[in-house]
Amino acid sequence: MYIVYSLRLAFQSLWREKWINLLSILTIAAGLFMIMLTFFVVYNIDLATKRLPARFSVMIYLDDGLTEKDTKDVMAALKKTDAVEQARYIPKDKALQELKGVLKNADYILEGMGENPLSSSIEIKLKKESVNIASVKKVAADIKKIKGVSEVEYGEQFLNSIHSIKGMAQGGSLSVIILMSAGVIFVCYSTIKIAFYRRKEEIETFKLLGATRGFIRAPFVIEGGMLGICGGLASMGAAFAFYSVLFYKVALTIPVLKILVFPMETYPALPAAGLVLGIGGAVIALGRIRFS
Amino acid sequence: MIHFSNVTKFYEKQAALKNVTFSIEKGEMVFMTGPSGAGKSTLLKVIYLAEKPDEGNITIAEWDLSKLKESSIPFLRRNIGVVFQDFRLLDNRNVFDNVAIALRIRGLLDREIQDWVMEILKMVNLRHKADSFPQALSGGEQQRVVIARAIVGEPTILLADEPTGNLDPDTAAGITRLFKDINAKGTTVVIATHNRELYKNTGRRVFRLESGNIVSEEIG
Repeated sequence: MYIVYSLRLAFQSLWREKWINLLSILTIAAGLFMIMLTFFVVYNIDLATKRLPARFSVMIYLDDGLTEKDTKDVMAALKKTDAVEQARYIPKDKALQELKGVLKNADYILEGMGENPLSSSIEIKLKKESVNIASVKKVAADIKKIKGVSEVEYGEQFLNSIHSIKGMAQGGSLSVIILMSAGVIFVCYSTIKIAFYRRKEEIETFKLLGATRGFIRAPFVIEGGMLGICGGLASMGAAFAFYSVLFYKVALTIPVLKILVFPMETYPALPAAGLVLGIGGAVIALGRIRFS
Repeated sequence: MIHFSNVTKFYEKQAALKNVTFSIEKGEMVFMTGPSGAGKSTLLKVIYLAEKPDEGNITIAEWDLSKLKESSIPFLRRNIGVVFQDFRLLDNRNVFDNVAIALRIRGLLDREIQDWVMEILKMVNLRHKADSFPQALSGGEQQRVVIARAIVGEPTILLADEPTGNLDPDTAAGITRLFKDINAKGTTVVIATHNRELYKNTGRRVFRLESGNIVSEEIG
């Protein structure tokens, strides 16, 4: 097999043009590092929104003067709703107590109020899959139709903001990933194209001696793959430095950063992505090899 | 072994070969002669498909070149050893590697290549120059490296384009002897040359080309 010879040719070529190749590797590393950063941001936004359903609740305020039976009817109607995971009844007295607990030392503002001004309410948690704008709006509208329900509150603006941030982050990150991947492919393409032209005479001789397309392509594809892997390894080093600085240095002074999560699977993915993009760039650079 | 039937080749609108028809049998050694620009090199090039004929049919052994897929061209070329007029030696590789490349292309293992290349270099009397680079060799030595590279893959056909072009008479005679030895082992040899001394008194067929036509066939 000629694979050993192809490997030898690829390494010789890498070494012969070491400075150009080093520059290419650093450029590839920078591109892959940008992809890693984008992925890191999107991963954490996604994680934050996945945690949202557990904290998200809808408050249902009941009409004043409902009997115990009326309240039970409302609870029964809520439990029949598919989107509702659990419902907790809060009588107006308990609501006042909870408010006092929230106000703590500032509870003097409630002094002088004769009658409890708060309504009885029901706090519901929705099923994970129902915590999205469209679904929550529909559930709120349906609940409002139930007899005895005075008002429904679910933090519409907050939910809108979270989802638009997530949408923007996903769209933006996809653009950055596509752009950076194209950049990495272009760097590999250019490097391999130059190497191919430099060896044009030799390749013509190979063709006349009976070399197949595979024999001609193999050293360049290996070279492209090697450039990609080296770029990936360099970006892996940069990612490790980024992780260490962010979590062991910066997070000491800005503790809120501790909630961020660094996906460890990024490390092996970087050289793998470099390999794929490098080979892709090389294959595009070689194009169709003609024999006559 | 080689059959040409009404083969025509144009460069731009100028015909380099015009309705060329001839046959060469297996194991033969023939010469193509004629003045510069007669079409000798083009005739050789269409045999190993460095150039595609515009009209006519060429059959090389069992290969019908008009029906040959592009991906099969490398396998045709492995059956044809070519001594190029401009040598096409790789300047950044030594003599051994220049010859070995023909075997690497065929996927042979390093140890097989080592033995076989040294054997062929011995045959062309260049074993002692295995580590030299082409620039350090004389014209005759370079020519012998090219011949070694052409025959190392044991082709059934050997084509040589002006193999004694710039060589002195003694060296040319040595190269001619080498071709005869190769032919004696059963390889079909086609030599394009304008050097009359090369084919004089050989008893071989000599085709004379002029302006792309075969104008005569005689025994040298």
